[in-house]
Amino acid sequence: MRAEHSPGPPGPSAASPNVSPVVVRELTKTFLDESRGAIVAVDRVSFDCREGEVFGLIGANGAGKTTTLRMLSTIIMPTSGTAQMLGHDIVGDPAGVRRSLGFYSASTALYPRLTARETIDFFARINQYPEHKVKARVEDLIARFGISDYADVRVEKMSTGMKQKVSIARTVAHNPLILIFDEPTVGLDVLNAIEVQQAILELRNDGRTVIFSTHIMSEAEKLCDRIAIIHNGRILACDTLEGLRSTTGQHYLEDIFVRYVKGPA
Amino acid sequence: MNWKDIRTLYVRELRSALRERGIVVNSIVIPIVLYPLLMWLISTGLTYVNGQTAELTSYVMLRHLPDAHLPLQHLLEAEPGIDLEYSDHPELDIRDGKLDLIIDFVQVQDAPSLAEGNVGARFTYDASRDQSATARARAKRVIDRYRDRFIEREAAKLGISRTQLQGFRVDEVNVSTDSEMGRFVLALLIPLMLVVMLAMGGIYPAIDATAGERETGTWETMMTVATSRSNILAAKYLYVATMSFVAGCLNVTAIMFTMRSNMFAMRSNLAPLGGASGLTFSVQLASIPVIVAGAALLALFVAAGMLILAAFARTFREGQSLVSPFLIAFVLPLMFIQSPSQEYTLRVAFIPIVNVAMMFRQAIVGRYDWLPIGITIAVELACIAAALKLATTMVEYEDFVTGSYHGTFLKFVRQRLLRRAGRGRVVAS
Repeated sequence: MRAEHSPGPPGPSAASPNVSPVVVRELTKTFLDESRGAIVAVDRVSFDCREGEVFGLIGANGAGKTTTLRMLSTIIMPTSGTAQMLGHDIVGDPAGVRRSLGFYSASTALYPRLTARETIDFFARINQYPEHKVKARVEDLIARFGISDYADVRVEKMSTGMKQKVSIARTVAHNPLILIFDEPTVGLDVLNAIEVQQAILELRNDGRTVIFSTHIMSEAEKLCDRIAIIHNGRILACDTLEGLRSTTGQHYLEDIFVRYVKGPA
Repeated sequence: MNWKDIRTLYVRELRSALRERGIVVNSIVIPIVLYPLLMWLISTGLTYVNGQTAELTSYVMLRHLPDAHLPLQHLLEAEPGIDLEYSDHPELDIRDGKLDLIIDFVQVQDAPSLAEGNVGARFTYDASRDQSATARARAKRVIDRYRDRFIEREAAKLGISRTQLQGFRVDEVNVSTDSEMGRFVLALLIPLMLVVMLAMGGIYPAIDATAGERETGTWETMMTVATSRSNILAAKYLYVATMSFVAGCLNVTAIMFTMRSNMFAMRSNLAPLGGASGLTFSVQLASIPVIVAGAALLALFVAAGMLILAAFARTFREGQSLVSPFLIAFVLPLMFIQSPSQEYTLRVAFIPIVNVAMMFRQAIVGRYDWLPIGITIAVELACIAAALKLATTMVEYEDFVTGSYHGTFLKFVRQRLLRRAGRGRVVAS
């Protein structure tokens, strides 16, 4: 898979190179459970993401990764705090945010009864890619992601690997500058997982900002330029891998993670 | 509202739907095939039953037949299916099923007769036995024919008219034309079938667009696209309404085709309903816009109701069980309008669903009472607006939109809407 090189849609801050494309400040989400009462899933989370970097969000299951990313992608609204994606506020301008980013997760499936071509076409159009360029864009993505052979096959008849490629193609169909990958390799075999990782690196090399969540430490080590460790809804640390190593004195991310979560041995 | 986005979403919904076997079967194939098939089965059944009846032999006993009327005995003997019998205990034999009918000929005692050989006939039979009732009908046909000829002949002998001889005579004249009788039959059939099929046609699409999306995991994908949720909701709503409307219209077209064609011999089977020699099934062109408008209103109402309920389901099966009560509630009121004498009054025009069904019925027979029609349209629009208002209120609740709410519609209404709780409420965008 090879990512494209054409520029994405301009956002309010796209013209100012010094402004981070993703700015998250004090983001908090509280759920009200019928039996348990108020549950703080994300607690005053703040971070910035730079242009052309893979920003990793690592944590155990239930740490708050998915809730954070669902807020950033405007699937759910924050209880308090704010976040801006290319200058679009997630509360004030959710449609602008959604135009600027592509969201991919294990739970964002494809429409089984559409073909690969129809899928990419649909997501390009609905994500406001210029109407007159949609056809060319679809053909370009089909070629770039190597799905020409099954472009007119319905998704329901595809293998997991094929679906994976189509899923990534639909995520970037509208050429967004920010991409969110929420545990994208969950449930995939090694070869398919490597394909996804490769695609993420190519998108990064193409200048996209990628926010990537995982609980697989080796994956984060391999892909992320900077890593935030999240636990019980709070960010405990945020640095480059080297920075985390020097702060903790641990080499492996797994040990670093345990050190932050459980404290020094 | 962004109509370009709604169109893109709508086309996507339709494209997916037309590739799903369940939806195609329920919303397209069944409406086209079901009623023609049912009518063919009914027609075949009637023909079979008629054939079976024709093969029955009716055992009839004549008592005290005057000599002057011996030709009647010959006529009965010549009639296919009638066998004249004699019994010593005819009443007992009728009860036992050995005899089907006794015809007693009695002299008219209390009135002087102008005609020579004037006589009365009394039928003794067992109405609870089909063979006995059939024997009565067969014998009566023969006797009526014989009696008509006898009266004509006797009147001629006396040099008077048949009416003068007979005195108080009852004749029937049906002023309805064959096509009016056909429309009367259609007005009884089509409203019920149309409403049922509008509801049936909306079920699968409504569940597919909500619970189906959750089951396949595409719901969350849809929540991340760069269009407002109201656009997504509008596209789904229009899609379900379209499928419901198409199912209803296809169904009516199929019924009309079946009734108009002679291929299932429906006309000959239905002809006795009006005493007409043959019914013709057609509706006036002017009634088509009224029927289409009514179908569209009901489709929009069905779509809103079903989407609201199906949106609480996380699986297709759960969706079916949540929508079924609505289907029953939607169709049940029609049971009360099955009487042909039911009038389309102002009061009826205020009852949702029933009012549209009555509007269909009136339009089919070519009557247009514009005040009830106006009230009907206003009531249906109010119902649709109320359902859409409810839907838009519901999508302000985040857990409902994301599919993490665990509960039914009634629980939601009780917990959220009636208590006016702000719990989980966000601004829909």
